[in-house]
Amino acid sequence: MRSHPLFAPWFSLAPALTIVMVLLGASLWYAVAESLGVIGAIGQNQPSFSAYRAAFLPASEFWLSLTFSLWVSLAATILSAAGALILAVWLSERNSGGFALHWNLAFPHLVWSVVLLLILSQSGLFSRWAAALGLISTPAEFPVLVRDRFGIGILLSYIGKEIPFLTITILSVLRSQPVGYDVVAENLGASRWQRLRYITLPQVMPALLAGSLLVFGFIFSSYEVPALLGVGYPRALPVLALRYFLDPDLRLRPTGMVISLVITAVTLVVAVASLRMGEK
Amino acid sequence: MTTVNIISLNKTYPNSAAPVLKDFSLSVHDGEMVAFLGPSGSGKSTLLKLITGIERPDSGDIHFDGVSILNVHPNKRGAVLMFQKSYLFPFLNVEDNIGFGLKVQGMSSASIRAEVKRMLNLIGLPGIEKRKSGQLSGGEGQRVALARALVTNPKLLLLDEPLSSLDTSVRINLQEAIRAIQRELGVTTIFVTHDLGEAMAMSDRMALLLNGEIVALDKPEALFHRPRSVAAAKFMGVSTFLSGNQPCPEQGRRVTVKNEVCFSSEKIFAIRPEHIRVQKGGCENSMRGVVSDCVFRGEYIEYQVDVNAATVRARMPMPAPMFPHGAQVFVKFPQEHLFEVT
Amino acid sequence: MRHLTIYALRFLLYILLAAPPLLFAAYAFSTRWFFPAPFPAEWTTAAFARVLRDSRTLSSAAQGLGIALTVSLLSLILALPAARVLGLRKFRGRQTAWLLLFLPTVVPPLAIGMGLNILFLRLGLAGTLTGVTLAHLLPTLPYTIFTLAGSFARFDENYEFQALALGANPFQIFLHITLRMLAPSLLTAALFAFLISWSQYLLTLLIGGGQVLTLPLLLFSAASGGNPSSIAALSLLFIAPPVLVIALTARALSQHGNEIREQY
Repeated sequence: MRSHPLFAPWFSLAPALTIVMVLLGASLWYAVAESLGVIGAIGQNQPSFSAYRAAFLPASEFWLSLTFSLWVSLAATILSAAGALILAVWLSERNSGGFALHWNLAFPHLVWSVVLLLILSQSGLFSRWAAALGLISTPAEFPVLVRDRFGIGILLSYIGKEIPFLTITILSVLRSQPVGYDVVAENLGASRWQRLRYITLPQVMPALLAGSLLVFGFIFSSYEVPALLGVGYPRALPVLALRYFLDPDLRLRPTGMVISLVITAVTLVVAVASLRMGEK
Repeated sequence: MTTVNIISLNKTYPNSAAPVLKDFSLSVHDGEMVAFLGPSGSGKSTLLKLITGIERPDSGDIHFDGVSILNVHPNKRGAVLMFQKSYLFPFLNVEDNIGFGLKVQGMSSASIRAEVKRMLNLIGLPGIEKRKSGQLSGGEGQRVALARALVTNPKLLLLDEPLSSLDTSVRINLQEAIRAIQRELGVTTIFVTHDLGEAMAMSDRMALLLNGEIVALDKPEALFHRPRSVAAAKFMGVSTFLSGNQPCPEQGRRVTVKNEVCFSSEKIFAIRPEHIRVQKGGCENSMRGVVSDCVFRGEYIEYQVDVNAATVRARMPMPAPMFPHGAQVFVKFPQEHLFEVT
Repeated sequence: MRHLTIYALRFLLYILLAAPPLLFAAYAFSTRWFFPAPFPAEWTTAAFARVLRDSRTLSSAAQGLGIALTVSLLSLILALPAARVLGLRKFRGRQTAWLLLFLPTVVPPLAIGMGLNILFLRLGLAGTLTGVTLAHLLPTLPYTIFTLAGSFARFDENYEFQALALGANPFQIFLHITLRMLAPSLLTAALFAFLISWSQYLLTLLIGGGQVLTLPLLLFSAASGGNPSSIAALSLLFIAPPVLVIALTARALSQHGNEIREQY
C-alpha cells in the first residue's frame, strides 16, 4: 500500500461510499416514485400528484399529526436543552458525572419507553405507591401520563434520553475551553450570574443550538416512542406515515410515502441548519 | 557492504512549483558515513524518502553496488531508517521491537533471541529485553531503535535527525556511540541533520544542501577551514567577506567589507570570525570601525563592529578586551587566514 | 452542607441509572403483584422461564446477535479504508465525501426503510437476513467511519514506514502494526455498530417483513399489549448486551460516547 504514492483516495472510499449512496439513493428514488404513484402497489404509468393532494387536504389527519409532532418535538427539545444546560454547568463546576452520562447509552429509546410504561401507567409502579400512601384508591384515579392525548409520556421519554446527550455536548465544549476566562471575569468583579450570562452561555450556545436542532430532527422523525406511548388519535407524523404505508388498502401507500418525504425534508433542513451552527 | 550511487535525481511535489531535488547526484562509499547538512526544506528528508521507497523520484536513479533499486519493493531494499522519534512499537517489548525485522523475514525465535542479545550488548544496554518501550528514556529509546535498524544487517543506514530531541549530554554520548557502532559494523550510513557540530563530529564527509542542490561536499575539516563557495562558507559560520583584487588590505588602498556578497568580477575573500582581531591601535591589514555590540560568552567574547556600513562579527578567546558601545577600534584581518571563495 | 447536596444528587443520579434493570427484575421475577401492593410479594422465576421457553425468544435473540455481529464486522471492513484516507489525506472532494457519508445519520430510518422496502422486494432481499444486514449498514457505517477516521487523524504513519523499511510486507504491516495500533478504536467502533444494529427496530421491521424477528421487535409487540412480566423479561434480555458493552468500555466511551448520538 505504501508503494503507490499516487494512491487515489477515492479507491479507498469506494466500498463504503457505494453502499451508502446506492442504498440511500435507491431508497429515496423509490420513495419519490411511489409517492407519485408510478411504482409499487398501484403501478400506474403516469406520475400523479393525487397522493400529495390527498395528504394535504384541509380535512386530512396530516395537519393534526403535524401539529402534534411539532408540539412534542419542540417541547421536548426546549425542555431537554434547558435541563442539559443547568446540568452541564452544575457538573462542569464539579468535574464529574461523565461515566453516569454515558451509562445512558445502555438503554435505547425503546427501553426507556418500556420503563415509563411500567412506572407511569394507571396500574404502574407510581400508581401503586400513590395507593399505598393513601392518595388514590383505584387505578383510574391516577392521572393519565402515558398514552395520553397531549403526549406527556412521549415528552418524558425523550427528555430522559436527550438531556444526557445534550449535557455531554455542552460539557465537551466547556471542558475544551481554557479555564482562564471564568477566573479573569471573577477577578474583574463579575457575579456568578454575570459569569454564566456573559462567559459560559456565549461559549456553549453554538454547540447547544446545533445539538438541539439534531435532537429536534430526531424526535420529529422517530417512530418507536410515539407508537408505544402515544394514543390512536392524534398520532405523531411518523406513526401516521407507517400506518398508511402498511395499510391493507394499497391506495393509501403513496400517501404514507408523501408524509415520510415531508418528514425527511424537515429533518434535512434542520440538519443543514445544525451543520451551519456547528461550524460557527 | 554497500556503495550507494545517487544519479541525477529530480523530484517535484504535485502541489508545489519549486522542485525539492534538482539534478541531485552523490556517491557514498562502502562503510562511509556522509552527513547531509541543510536548513529545513532543503530536500534532506525527501532524499531519504526516495532512497527508502516511500516516494518515487520524477527522474534519475539510485544504485546499491551498481544495481538500480528503484523497482525493488521498499521492504526488500535493505535501507533502514531512524527518526528523531524512536517509533518503537508501543505494544511490543524491547526484544520484540528489535526482533521485528527478523521475525517478518521468518527467522526462528531462538535465533532472533540470540541476535537481539548480541545487539543489546553492542548498544550497551544488555538485559533489557523484557522492558516495555514506554519505560525507556529518550536516549535508551534511540539506542534500541538503532539496534532494531541494524539487526537486519542493512545495506544502508539512514539517520534522520536521530538526536535532535535529546538533552545535550545524552546527545553527545549517543553521537560517540553511533559513530563507534557504525565503524565497528562498517555499515554505509547517510546522516541528516541541521546541527553543524554534530555533522562534523560524526561524518567522514559532509554534504551541504540548499534548495535541493549540493553546494559543497568534502571532509568536515576541509569544509570548515577552506569552504570554496560563499554559500558553503555561510553554512560553516562565516559572515565576513572582503572584496578587492588582493587578499591584503594594504595601507592606503580601499577594500570593502561586505556581509552580503554581490556577484562581481572582483575576487572575494572570506575569513572566519575567530580569526578576526579587534584592537585599540591600528596596524597592518586593519580597518577603522565602531563597536556596536560586545557580548561576554564565557570562553570567548563576541564583537560586532561597524566597518564601512557593514557589520563585522569577530570572536576572540579569553582573555580579550571588552569595549563599550560606540568605541573607536581597529579590525584586523590577518593575511594568513584570508581565503578566496567564489 | 454543600457536600451533602452533592452526595444526595449523585445518589439520585445513580438510582435513576440503576432503576431500569431493577424495575425489570422486579416485574420479571415476581408473580401475582396486584394493584395496590407497592412492592412484589412473591418471587418466582416462572414468568422469566416462560418467556425463555417461547421458541421465538431465543431464536430472535440469536438472530439479532448474528445480524449485529455480521453488521459490526462488515462495517469495520468497509470503514477501515475510507476512514484511513479521510483521517490521513487531504484531497479534493474530501468535504463532499464526509457529507455523503454523514447523510444516513440525518435521513430518518422511516424514510430509508420505506424506500428500501420497495427496492428489496424487487431484488428478492426483503424478508431475508442478507437484506436486513445490508439495511443495518446504513446507520452503522457513518459512526464506524467517524470513529476510525478520528483515530487515523492521530495515527503516525512513520510506524508503518519503520516496519516497511525493516522488511515487512504490506500484509504484515497491516496485521502487526496498523491493526495493533488502532485496536482500541477498532473495538469501540465495532461495539457502536453492534449496539446500533442490536437495537434497530424500524429497519428490521420494514425489511424483515415479519420474517426476520429480533428482540426489539418482540419487545415492541409485547409492550403494545402484553403482560408486564413478559415485557420486563424481554427487556432484561434486550438490555443485557448493551449494559455489558457499556460497562466494559466505559473508558473508551468518554472519548467517543457522543459520536453515536441519536441513531441508537
